[in-house]
Amino acid sequence: KYELYSMDWDLKEELRDCLVAAAPYGGPIALLRNPWRKEKPASARPVLEIYSASGVPLASLLWKSGPVVSLGWSAEEELLCVQEDGVVLVYGLHGDFRRHFSMGNEVLQNRVLDARIFHTEFGSGVAILTGAHRFTLSANVGDLKLRRMPEVPGLQSAPSCWTAVCQDRVAHILLAVGPDLYLLDHAACSAVTPPGLAPGVSSFLQMAVSFTYRHLALFTDTGYIWMGTASLKEKLCEFNCNIRAPPKQMVWCSRPRSKEKAVVVAWERRLMVVGDAPESIQFVLDEDSYLVPELDGVRVFSRSTHEFLHEVPVASEEIFKIASMAPGALLLEAQKEYEKESQKADEYLREIQELGQLPQAVQQCIEAAGHEHWPDMQKSLLRAASFGKCFLDRFPPDSFVRMCQDLRVLNAVRDYHIGIPLTYSQYKQLTIQVLLDRLVLRRLYPLAIQICEYLRLPEVQGVSRILAHWACYKVQQKDVSDEDVARAINQKLGDTPGVSYSDIAARAYGCGRTELAIKLLEYEPRSGEQVPLLLKMKRSKLALSKAIESGDTDLVFTVLLHLKNELNRGDFFMTLRNQPMALSLYRQFCKHQELETLKDLYNQDDNHQELGSFHIRASYAAEERIEGRVAALQTAADAFYKAKNEFAAKATEDQMRLLRLQRRLEDELGGRFLDLSLHDTVTTLILSGQNKRAEQLARDFRIPDKRLWWLKLTALADLEDWEELEKFSKSKKSPIGYLPFVEICMKQHNKYEAKKYASRVGPEQKVKALLLVGDVAQAADVAIEHRSEAEMSLVLSHCTGATDGATADKIQRARAQAQKK
Amino acid sequence: MGDWDGVRDQQLYLLLSEFCYFLMVLEKTLESPLDFKEIQPYFGHLMRRVDSLENTPMLGGIGFYACEMVLEEEGIYGDVSCDEWAFSLLPLDVDLLSMELPEFFRDYFLEGDQRWINTLAQALHLLSTLYGPFPNCYGIGRCAKMSYELWKRLEEEEDGETKGRRPEIGHIFLLDRDMDFVTALCSQVVYEGLVDDTFRIKCGSVDFGPEVTSSDKSLKVLLNAEDKVFNEIRNEHFSNVFGFLSQKARNLQAQYDRRRGMDIKQMKNFVSQELKGLKQEHRLLSLHIGACESIMKKKTKQDFQELIKTEHALLEGFNIRESTNYIEEHIDRQVSPIESLRLMCLLSITENGLIPKDYRSLKTQYLQSYGPEHLLTFSNLRRAGLLTEQAPGDTLTAVESKVSKLVTDKAAGKITDAFSSLAKRSNFRAISKKLNLIPRVDGEYDLKVPRDMAYVFSGAYVPLSCRIIEQVLERRGWQGLDEVVRLLNCSELAFTDMTKDDKASSESLRLILVVFLGGCTFSEISALRFLGREKGYRFIFLTTAVTNSARLMEAMSEVKA
Repeated sequence: KYELYSMDWDLKEELRDCLVAAAPYGGPIALLRNPWRKEKPASARPVLEIYSASGVPLASLLWKSGPVVSLGWSAEEELLCVQEDGVVLVYGLHGDFRRHFSMGNEVLQNRVLDARIFHTEFGSGVAILTGAHRFTLSANVGDLKLRRMPEVPGLQSAPSCWTAVCQDRVAHILLAVGPDLYLLDHAACSAVTPPGLAPGVSSFLQMAVSFTYRHLALFTDTGYIWMGTASLKEKLCEFNCNIRAPPKQMVWCSRPRSKEKAVVVAWERRLMVVGDAPESIQFVLDEDSYLVPELDGVRVFSRSTHEFLHEVPVASEEIFKIASMAPGALLLEAQKEYEKESQKADEYLREIQELGQLPQAVQQCIEAAGHEHWPDMQKSLLRAASFGKCFLDRFPPDSFVRMCQDLRVLNAVRDYHIGIPLTYSQYKQLTIQVLLDRLVLRRLYPLAIQICEYLRLPEVQGVSRILAHWACYKVQQKDVSDEDVARAINQKLGDTPGVSYSDIAARAYGCGRTELAIKLLEYEPRSGEQVPLLLKMKRSKLALSKAIESGDTDLVFTVLLHLKNELNRGDFFMTLRNQPMALSLYRQFCKHQELETLKDLYNQDDNHQELGSFHIRASYAAEERIEGRVAALQTAADAFYKAKNEFAAKATEDQMRLLRLQRRLEDELGGRFLDLSLHDTVTTLILSGQNKRAEQLARDFRIPDKRLWWLKLTALADLEDWEELEKFSKSKKSPIGYLPFVEICMKQHNKYEAKKYASRVGPEQKVKALLLVGDVAQAADVAIEHRSEAEMSLVLSHCTGATDGATADKIQRARAQAQKK
Repeated sequence: MGDWDGVRDQQLYLLLSEFCYFLMVLEKTLESPLDFKEIQPYFGHLMRRVDSLENTPMLGGIGFYACEMVLEEEGIYGDVSCDEWAFSLLPLDVDLLSMELPEFFRDYFLEGDQRWINTLAQALHLLSTLYGPFPNCYGIGRCAKMSYELWKRLEEEEDGETKGRRPEIGHIFLLDRDMDFVTALCSQVVYEGLVDDTFRIKCGSVDFGPEVTSSDKSLKVLLNAEDKVFNEIRNEHFSNVFGFLSQKARNLQAQYDRRRGMDIKQMKNFVSQELKGLKQEHRLLSLHIGACESIMKKKTKQDFQELIKTEHALLEGFNIRESTNYIEEHIDRQVSPIESLRLMCLLSITENGLIPKDYRSLKTQYLQSYGPEHLLTFSNLRRAGLLTEQAPGDTLTAVESKVSKLVTDKAAGKITDAFSSLAKRSNFRAISKKLNLIPRVDGEYDLKVPRDMAYVFSGAYVPLSCRIIEQVLERRGWQGLDEVVRLLNCSELAFTDMTKDDKASSESLRLILVVFLGGCTFSEISALRFLGREKGYRFIFLTTAVTNSARLMEAMSEVKA
């Protein structure tokens, strides 16, 4: 047991008059004065005060809400105040209101009789006992799920004592009614009996569950204490203290892996430590005291002092036991003698070395140093360890170095001004990350950063995280101008990796400082990150330009669709107009989703060309009826005229005429004409023998002669109307020559007809035509006659081996002759 | 919670166009125990609803949004966590990565839609996290520049990751498709390109119909370096392929024949080790021979030769009148809407636009032949700069020459610049002269032993895109190419970024990643592979999609739904 701090809080009241709650792991203490007591008039408003473990006031506020039944700290060091009406108010460490939630409607009528805050693997839980003697609990206040516990049969009055027990990740309630114990889980209520309980118990006055929920202690009205496992399956030990008065508090005091089990029982003026021994250790309490169970001991605080009571760790015990011959003790002694420049040092050292226990000795000293509270003691132990280390080769240095670092951190946070009296074991359990969070929570940013730098934590986990927290706090200072805050933050943060300016800005916006948020966002290097917040702040236009800057089109879309809902159409279009990229994206969107909007867009821009295209597309995609289609085309044509695209306008008008005509043809002749191209329309007419109409159409639409000839030729050949074809070929001189006739006839495998036309082919294409009909010999003659080298080789390439041997020779000869000349 | 616990980890995969969505069901608000069997039909319903979105063409960003809307309407948005898996790079071959974004071309070059640029930058970023930073970056084109800048920004935001890594790829070259439409518009005559033109290679595999497999079934064949036969002929000019295949067939036969003189032991070896490989090879060989025959049937007709001849004439720029007539005849005969369109575009680009008379008459002819909706196609092509009318100022040249006589040459250059930025001119002829794209050939070009990259177009034309890449790599930048860059209308859009980095090993400097924005053709790939062999480079290709002339034209066409 040693003193942690002398408290200099200026308490006006006795602790016993207050509701008290102290958070584990050296956490803060909350006091609610003037609790609602029947004998006191309710006129005075109570005051809620929060102190650090060293008694430094952190917050004080007038309690304005209803009567509070119980106070407790959550694992995140938030203060939970359970009110009589079942509402739980959550406050921060600095007395800032966070949120509230209710423990169910049923409680409203029945009032809360008692409440407990307990800690589970998931977080912190709240259990309440209602006026109807029913229990309700929530295993995690962060993710509230209320579980109403089943009724306890025959429970007419409040249980004499009860507690929440966590086993196998499930929270139970253990309660005592007279001589009976009940265990409540959310399905059933079962009676339980602790094994080996001394007879004659008529009621349980107090029960205590250990920090880890592994052990349970029961205090009976006979002054008998039963200690066993929380599962009530095994008894560890018992003790009879012969004090029948109900203790004020009873808590476990043992180390997680220690064999010794001990319970601290507190009465008004007496503190008793009982364990598996016939004797108990007693302390006299001068003042009202309050016990806080910790992982490895008990903190006891009163108006003037704050002490820590714990079982002496093995290493320390070995070293400091009177006349101890443990290697660690000898090493410490050796070092002391060495400092005195006495040769005894050597003797001690030799003694250890002879036993070959030097490594253990060093290890012991290091370990013991960890458990020491006073820096001087730590120093001397560490010095001894380092002294011993000199005589060892290859002693791994990390444990020593790490212990030095840890102790520095611990000493720093244990400082009176900081007031987090963590022990070494608690610190290891809590981890450095959580400790840093707690420092941040206490707004001790410089210390947190120093620790990070000292321990060389990676920036993202360490310094930048803390800076970000600092910045988030900074933006809440409403008395500083936006300008200054933004500058201050940027100066501190610079572009430290891992700091998200957008998160800080989000916080600023949360405090209602939109302008500041925008200023902060300017520092955010990733423009994509700025967009969601800007949207939230209704700065959509800014968001749009940021999104475009980021080049992320998904983001642009998000903003666009947002803008579309936010602005009226005109403004929206105007905005788009200034952002070509967004405009083109939106156009794409409209093309697929909202064709009408697309039209409006073009209209606004006076983009007649596109407007025309739009209507053309509509004429065959959207419109079904012929009238509708013609009308669409007419609109298109008008648009094209406006766009000064005469060609397109004319073409569109032609199409209108064609459509009407096709309709008429369908009516008069049957068959399908609609949607055929002009060419196909004429072909169809010829194929169905409507030559007159075909001619008429060709004239009306000014189909060029060449096309008409090709068209007719192909169509007639398809019909295999050779007679008509011949007539046609003689109708006038062919504008496409006669080679096509040969080709087309050959395609229809009509060599006979083909030959007819081959004779009419002009001289320059004669060879080709002859080759087409397969008359190689004649082709050769013509080629030779033309004296054309190209033609001759063409014929030659058509000569196939045996049959055309003579022809080939002929050409070769002619060639040779030509070359001679 | 009972049964529900088992379901909690179930993931639902919702596939929506090119994105994959996972839905993970959370237990959150489901208070009462639920039987999985009960909810299964509900998931089915949900999947169908989301699936139905697939039928409406979805946009990249909107797809996700729409998915969320469905969930919201169903009232389960809060219970479901959504994640998006955008698979950006698809390795189609040992040296070919495709993003399989055929819509990129139309979206960017026609609609001016920049949404894929982000995707592109992400893909580049991914590559640089995998293979280290690229010490030398070159690029030309607006899209290339934007992607590059966005990529660099991404890199800065997530700095630290790539720094200090040894670069594994020495160069990266970004090239916009609109730098070189000509190459993409030409008929392909290299085997792989021909197969693509004829049968359409989709995602690295092709469907060979019954006429190729010489059976009554179609066969889906993967075409990549794994296929040993294909790997040897893919880059060959088609005229060599048949000879090669028959030689191969003879060799194969010889190997089969070897087994005649074998004793039992040798036979055992042969059967266990070689036979399988031979059989596989045999199968592939017969397939490719089938494909060749099928191509020959389609292509070596007179028509095809005329077509190629016309193309070459267009490229070289002689007999323009004759070519125009040929195209007109093509249209009048309704040969094929896509082919006709392609030739018109080729004519337009090589000639800096059609002269107004031809522009009108060809368009009229085309509309008469293939239907009036192509009015929109023409408007698209005009916007993309593929089919344009010669500006009335192509009297420009006349004006220019007059002006140049009056003022100094410098000023004249400025005026020309001003004009050319008004009407984006392709300047193909001038570029072709500058870069010597039409090789002067004495005598027959021996396609069996290619001399330069022109072999991919029968020795008539060196692909412009490949020539640019060659030149820039040679000069390690754009120095000395100012005139070409100006002619490409890219004075501000060509960039080089070289880091003085000694860490790049000489081996990595041989590796070049070429990124085609808007697609590349197999001919270009073949040409660069050839260049790589000649110069000792190794090219890796990253393209938004493999394309060819038909795909380009289809992307621009308006077809009735």
